Amino acid sequence: MRVNPNYTPDILTDLWQSQAQEQTDIQELATGQRVNVPSDDPEAAAADVQNHALQSQTDQYVQNTTDLEGMFQTADSALSSVVTALNQAISLGVQGANGDLSSSDQQAIAEQVQALQSQMVQLGNTSYEGSYVFGGTATQSAPFTLDSTQPSGVSYNGNTGVNSVEIAQGSSIQTNLPGSQVFQGAGGNVMGSLQQLITALQSGNTTNIGTATTQVSTALGYLSQQRVFYGSAVNQLNNNQSDLQQEQVSLQTQENSLVGVDMATVATELSQAQTAQSATLAALAKIIPQSLLDYLQ
Amino acid sequence: MGSLSSSMWIASAALGADQGALDATSNNIANQNTPGYTREVADLTEAAPTVEGNLTYGNGVVLQKIQSITDQVLQIQIANENSQQARAQTQSSALQQVQVPFSNATQGIGADFTAFFNSISQLSTDPTNMTDRQSVLSAAQTLASDFNSTEQNLDSIRSGLNQSVTQNVTQINTLTQQIAQLNVQVGEMQQLGQDPGNLGDQETQLIQQLSQLTNVNEIQTEHGLTLTTGNGTPLVVGGQSFALQTTNGPSGMTDVSSQGQDITSSLQGGQLGGNLEVRDTAIPGLLTQLDNLASQFATSFNAAQASGYDLNGNAGQALFSDTSGAGAASNLKVAISDPSLIAASSDGTAGSDGNVVNLLAVQTQALPSGENPVDTYANLVSQTGTLASQAATEVTASTASLNQLNDQLGAVSGVNLDEETTNLMNYQRAYEAAARVVSTVDELTQSVLDMGSGVTAAP
Repeated sequence: MRVNPNYTPDILTDLWQSQAQEQTDIQELATGQRVNVPSDDPEAAAADVQNHALQSQTDQYVQNTTDLEGMFQTADSALSSVVTALNQAISLGVQGANGDLSSSDQQAIAEQVQALQSQMVQLGNTSYEGSYVFGGTATQSAPFTLDSTQPSGVSYNGNTGVNSVEIAQGSSIQTNLPGSQVFQGAGGNVMGSLQQLITALQSGNTTNIGTATTQVSTALGYLSQQRVFYGSAVNQLNNNQSDLQQEQVSLQTQENSLVGVDMATVATELSQAQTAQSATLAALAKIIPQSLLDYLQ
Repeated sequence: MGSLSSSMWIASAALGADQGALDATSNNIANQNTPGYTREVADLTEAAPTVEGNLTYGNGVVLQKIQSITDQVLQIQIANENSQQARAQTQSSALQQVQVPFSNATQGIGADFTAFFNSISQLSTDPTNMTDRQSVLSAAQTLASDFNSTEQNLDSIRSGLNQSVTQNVTQINTLTQQIAQLNVQVGEMQQLGQDPGNLGDQETQLIQQLSQLTNVNEIQTEHGLTLTTGNGTPLVVGGQSFALQTTNGPSGMTDVSSQGQDITSSLQGGQLGGNLEVRDTAIPGLLTQLDNLASQFATSFNAAQASGYDLNGNAGQALFSDTSGAGAASNLKVAISDPSLIAASSDGTAGSDGNVVNLLAVQTQALPSGENPVDTYANLVSQTGTLASQAATEVTASTASLNQLNDQLGAVSGVNLDEETTNLMNYQRAYEAAARVVSTVDELTQSVLDMGSGVTAAP
């Protein structure tokens, strides 16, 4: 039977194929990626886009969590100072309620409480990276100013707005408590009770001083409750952080199985392709010179 | 009755026939690597015998003709497969370029979307931070410019293909002209019962080249070949060729017409078919989706902007310029340059981030086209990949079947050196033997002529 005497096109196709396979394998080994262009695996390439979106989103959640932690810690430590100041005010009140004190002693105590009141206003005006943390969403102007015309001795310039920040897919965290709620709440008015104590001390009425001191204690109890918000927020952020880290790991694993290369398999493929190529070349080298002409003299 | 002169005549005819056969063999050996060459075989037959009484004298050998050995059906199959392979090859290389802007998951539109929404998420932790606000604008800028460049990339690949269309048509016209000229000669020879030989090979070779440019139908008529495009537009009829024309279509793309009729959409196969398919179907399909994504995303993000307030307490303005229709992706621009105009606030106070929720919702909510922005983009990535990998698979498949067909044809028409060398030896021996007959007959004739000269009268 006659066969095609011109076998070079077939052999060349074989050589091209094994060369192309080698190139693909080498590229995969060099990049560590099985999918270098979408046509390598269209479904995996599309899933990789989504995977990268999730990874980058998760990184952002981690960033948000870190940023918020700083702010929560600032607010919490401000409230911790508020607690200290209120405790001082209470002991000053107890001291002032002592009927043996002279009027001038009571005035002196009143001045000390006034100093605490100013400190309280400063604490209420705590800011983090240029934004006041107790002003509601009016973060650009100081929320508290001393104002003797107000019954509580201070005026609140903030609002009751709250912000929230996304810290995981579909999960947000409230990032602030308005100052009006923290310092002038219905359950215990920090600013109002201090002003009441100052007025009582100035008037020298020990009954009033006692009542006012009780008010300050109530305010302290209420403020401590409010402070829990920041404490638990920090806890939530910490938990969230470790969840996010797990998420990052699992997303990377997913990416690896989507587009990553199995080194062992590819290395084997590469050596197979090389073997195929050298076998083809060897066969070609053997075949080409053979013809009847070699045997004719 | 046998005679010396008839022996001489038989031997000299044999010399001629063997010389012809040697010619054919020599021609085969000379053309063993010529593309499209089909081997020739010397058709030797016995000459009609002379019958005298009960004696029949053979009259030697006659070289009837030198026949090219080929298979018309295989040639047509190869032409079709050539056309398939060239189409797939052209598509594959164009689509390889098309998928480049969609290749990197860490760059490009998909990554830009996430970076943009991340910058907004970052802003929510500190809505008055001007650096964060500037980052949102920069991310929006990057997103818009990647939309622009992706669309421009596809557009420039498309206009490259458009130029190829014009070149393909020019090549087709040159080939059909050459084929028409050959067709006249080949047709005449066939009518006379002659083997068109090398002219036929040349014509077949040109038809193969033509099939690589577009799908061709061959009809054998008594006046030679008629060639038409796949849908029947005549290209060559006998000695006449019909040139295709190119005109600028309304969309700025080149249309192909024949005798005033637009045949662009009916051209299939070959490089021309491949170029047209990617130019008119694959890329426009991707462009439409890219445009829809750009305009729908811009619209829904602008709506989210409008539901909030900027840093100065004013209602949110559109962040992206309104774009729609063809070219939306390349026209997408960021409409504002003042970072304070990003509407993060829901109540008009600067420190509020209440509208961020609405801005971020654009990331997860389905666009009118059915999926959220990143998923829509991922879908585009998968489509470009599928197009390119399908074309590559077709190239592999059609190359394999083309090789197989060529092997089959080679088995019929290819020049085998062993065979030719054997023939060479046979014809050489036959020629030598015939020459020996001539010299032998010559000697005999000499003897006959000498018969009288040496004889003297008997004493």
